[in-house]
Amino acid sequence: MPYLLRDLALTHSNIGVFDRQNVRRLDPVLSLLVLSLIVVGLAVLTSASRNVSSSIPYYYAAKQVVWFLVGAGCAVLLVCVDYRFLVSLAPGMYALVVGLLIVVLLWGIEVKGGQRWLTLGLVRFQPSELGKIVLVYTLAWYFSVLQERIRRLPYFLLTFVIVGIPMLLILKQPNLGTAASLIPVVFVMLYAAGCKRWHLAVVILLGLVAAPLAWSQLKDYQKDRIRSFLNAEADPQDTGWHTIQTKITVGSGGMWGKGFREGTQTHLSYLPEHHTDFIFALLAEEEGFVGAVAILGLFAVFLLRGLMLARDCPDLSGSMLAVGVVTILGFHVFVNVGITIGLLPVTGLPLPFLSYGGSFCLTTMVGVGTLLSVQVRKGFFRT
Amino acid sequence: MPGETSRKRYDGVEQRIGHLAVALVLALTVLGARLWQLQIIQGSEYAARAERNRLFFQRLASPRGTIYGPDTRIVLADTRPACDLVLVPAECGDPQVVCSRLATLIGIDRPALLAKIEERKKEREPYAQIVIKQDVSKNELTRVEEMSFALPGVFTIVRPQRRYLHGRTAGQILGYLSEINEEELGARKPRYQMGDMIGKAGLEKVYEELLRGHDGQMLVTRYAVGTPQLRTDPWGKPYVHTDSYGRLLQEEEQYRRNPIPGQEIFTTLDIGLQAKAESLLEGKVGAIAVLDADDGKVLALASTPGYDPSIFATSGMSKARLEVLEDKTEPMKNRAYQDMYPPGSTFKVVLAAAALEEGAIDENSTFFCGGHFDLKGHRWRCWKTGGHGTLSVVDALAFSCDVFFYNVGLRLGPDRIHDWSQRLGLGVKTGLDLPQERTGLIATPVWKKQMNAHLEPSEQEWYQGDTVNLSVGQGYTLVTPLQNAVMIAAVVNDSKRVRPYLNGAATPQVTAPLLSEHTLRILRAGLRKCVEKDQPPSGTGWRAKIPGIAVIGKTGTSQAVNRQYTDKYKNEADIPYALRDHALFVAGVLDRTPRLAISIMVEHGLHGSTGAAPLAKELIAYFYSHPSPTGLLAKQE
Repeated sequence: MPYLLRDLALTHSNIGVFDRQNVRRLDPVLSLLVLSLIVVGLAVLTSASRNVSSSIPYYYAAKQVVWFLVGAGCAVLLVCVDYRFLVSLAPGMYALVVGLLIVVLLWGIEVKGGQRWLTLGLVRFQPSELGKIVLVYTLAWYFSVLQERIRRLPYFLLTFVIVGIPMLLILKQPNLGTAASLIPVVFVMLYAAGCKRWHLAVVILLGLVAAPLAWSQLKDYQKDRIRSFLNAEADPQDTGWHTIQTKITVGSGGMWGKGFREGTQTHLSYLPEHHTDFIFALLAEEEGFVGAVAILGLFAVFLLRGLMLARDCPDLSGSMLAVGVVTILGFHVFVNVGITIGLLPVTGLPLPFLSYGGSFCLTTMVGVGTLLSVQVRKGFFRT
Repeated sequence: MPGETSRKRYDGVEQRIGHLAVALVLALTVLGARLWQLQIIQGSEYAARAERNRLFFQRLASPRGTIYGPDTRIVLADTRPACDLVLVPAECGDPQVVCSRLATLIGIDRPALLAKIEERKKEREPYAQIVIKQDVSKNELTRVEEMSFALPGVFTIVRPQRRYLHGRTAGQILGYLSEINEEELGARKPRYQMGDMIGKAGLEKVYEELLRGHDGQMLVTRYAVGTPQLRTDPWGKPYVHTDSYGRLLQEEEQYRRNPIPGQEIFTTLDIGLQAKAESLLEGKVGAIAVLDADDGKVLALASTPGYDPSIFATSGMSKARLEVLEDKTEPMKNRAYQDMYPPGSTFKVVLAAAALEEGAIDENSTFFCGGHFDLKGHRWRCWKTGGHGTLSVVDALAFSCDVFFYNVGLRLGPDRIHDWSQRLGLGVKTGLDLPQERTGLIATPVWKKQMNAHLEPSEQEWYQGDTVNLSVGQGYTLVTPLQNAVMIAAVVNDSKRVRPYLNGAATPQVTAPLLSEHTLRILRAGLRKCVEKDQPPSGTGWRAKIPGIAVIGKTGTSQAVNRQYTDKYKNEADIPYALRDHALFVAGVLDRTPRLAISIMVEHGLHGSTGAAPLAKELIAYFYSHPSPTGLLAKQE
């Protein structure tokens, strides 16, 4: 502990500065990838808006543009600010988020069985979304402060305490999806931070052993989702509905798809939530295998580019940030698409850049901003 | 800032991040492989499932086939377009105003309709149509259409509706339609579905397969939830525009299959004669069967009381329907073939025929009637207390002497009586093409033994007394009025048994002659004298005599209960209705075309001679003075 306090003080003595020139140093590859993913996302959303009766044309896409603009603003801001300054603020942000999670538990508005929102005047937002990013920053701060000491068991274990507090609060909402999305962040970042492999292995093993215990803690509807995933055809009308319909939606797309805005499963409401959690099904139905794989390819290149950045960044906190952001976004892509194509049980988890929704759009763009912020500064360090 | 030192990284971080990259690529490869499986390998299977999701089969009801009389001029039952008035809550503006207007225009239940509108709105299916009134009249429709500018969201849907043009007349023959039940539905899917109408009685039931057409279909792209709403344009052409949530739906026009109407049926029924027969039975409980004696065409098959099948045409339990269903006199039963009565003296025709054919008697055999017949201490009376004196078979038939036939019956024995009864059509189903025909009963010793097997041996034994009762159509003997008509038809048509039928397209089934010319001549002489001799001593059937027409006939008065219950009443009029004898009469016309065979039964009509024979006269007179039933064309719209 004394080390930690000392390093905290040290971090603050070494804060970075604003530099708007950094925007010019952006990696064109990474920027273009982000831009194309945003464009694809908006295009898919115009299709998803087909049946929305609203005076606003392309309702979801139009609203999402606003979120992307806000998100892009955040990203630009992040690029300008030295990420190390933000990392140094991480403990404070962490405390703030835990506070907000407690507030939302006590006074939040419940929407659709689970996710809780806070209302700040006109804007509603989910503190748990904020929690994902803040956790990445907190862990980056923690690991960069610890450095080699992460190989020691107490520090290793402290990581789980840091993550455990917000995670339990999110679980309590209950928001299984978001809570679960924190787990890979911890493991991957621990691995990348250089922890002992057998420490990690033991924890994973213990987790597997404890899984039955977790099962008993699940709510009935959550158990139903898992059961219906394992045997969807047993109850096709009710809990199995999503599991079956999403496969039909994706499968019926075939090689070339039914054509832009021509999807029947989605537009005729056989697959609900096709503008949010099941947006990939809409894409796969309308653009077929070719379109779906192309988008997966875009994601792959984007995420690999993020990992390359983590590899090349000489600064440990920068590396950690990049790994954390890639893990969050990669986990969302894998789980969301996995659910959509019937590999994983249904749980609400959005697809980065494509799913409609403000909070997660901001999370994504803040993540992108963080990556770019690391990228523009990676050349500054002398090792 | 450039050149600033960073937190040092540990050795091997590149390697670990490399591992992560490999894991990422692997994970995405798994997703790609799964996509390949779903979209390429199983793609067509899922595409088919998506199509099944999407397409909604809207059935288009086929009009039911028309039931005609002998030709298209007489329509008995047809299908007309019925207008249902429906309301779409979402389109009706202020429901209060619209409901008030509807209440004054066509007298609907305003609060009930308002409640339904509220319900639809609460269920958020404001485009789900509410049926305001089924089958509105032309008057009501005109009133609503004139006000249509003030009735937004109110419109009509046209659907085929069964119509019976003659009301009660021939109602039991035509039968009725009602919603199909679980059991009937069983093997009939998918041609039938729950809620479909199906023939439940009469011709509607027997010829269901022909009369019902094949429903058409249209395919509509539908949403996962919500029901497509069928509408019809002013020409009755169905279309689907929205579903119950108000979303626009599209029809796949290339898949539309228009309904195939049901086939038409021509019947042998003479609706004029039928109406006449029913009017003759008005106020009575009874049945009349009139056949074309030569081929078995059913010209009339009246039974009272009757019912109007139209009351079943609209769904729901109406008052009229309940009344019919709960009526103790069973108006839905056609007594002409669905009920059985002791034939009484009409049975003597069979006995005479059998005795002559079997040689038990000849034309000149005589018996003495002293008004009663004694056998082993029991006494059977002749209906004529003073007795008929000595008579032969012709007079025995003409004056309906009981004692003569007691003797004849004993000579023949029950088995031969049974055989000849069946040969002439009694105690066996006639084969009429209507449902639920009764068999009747001509008892034999074997039958009695079987029936009474659970009783004392003395109860199982066949006594001569049983034969005596059988000889005059009493005891266990039961026949349907229609069987009696078949029996007398044989006397008219040179002793051939016919199968009565209603479907004009059926081939007549007629047997070879059953009796010798000689027997036939004697029977006709007796039955002719029965009607023709109207001066005392008159034949029992003289009230059916029509000058210039060769009518044969035989009366029957059959006991509804044992004599001992009715003997105490000195005056006939004092006998309670339920204890009175049934009045029967069988008649035929020999010298006209077509030759008629008539069977009349009036429940508790007291005497065949007074209660039934006069009806035959009116029927015959009516039939030959109305060669074509065109007089009834005016009855149709």
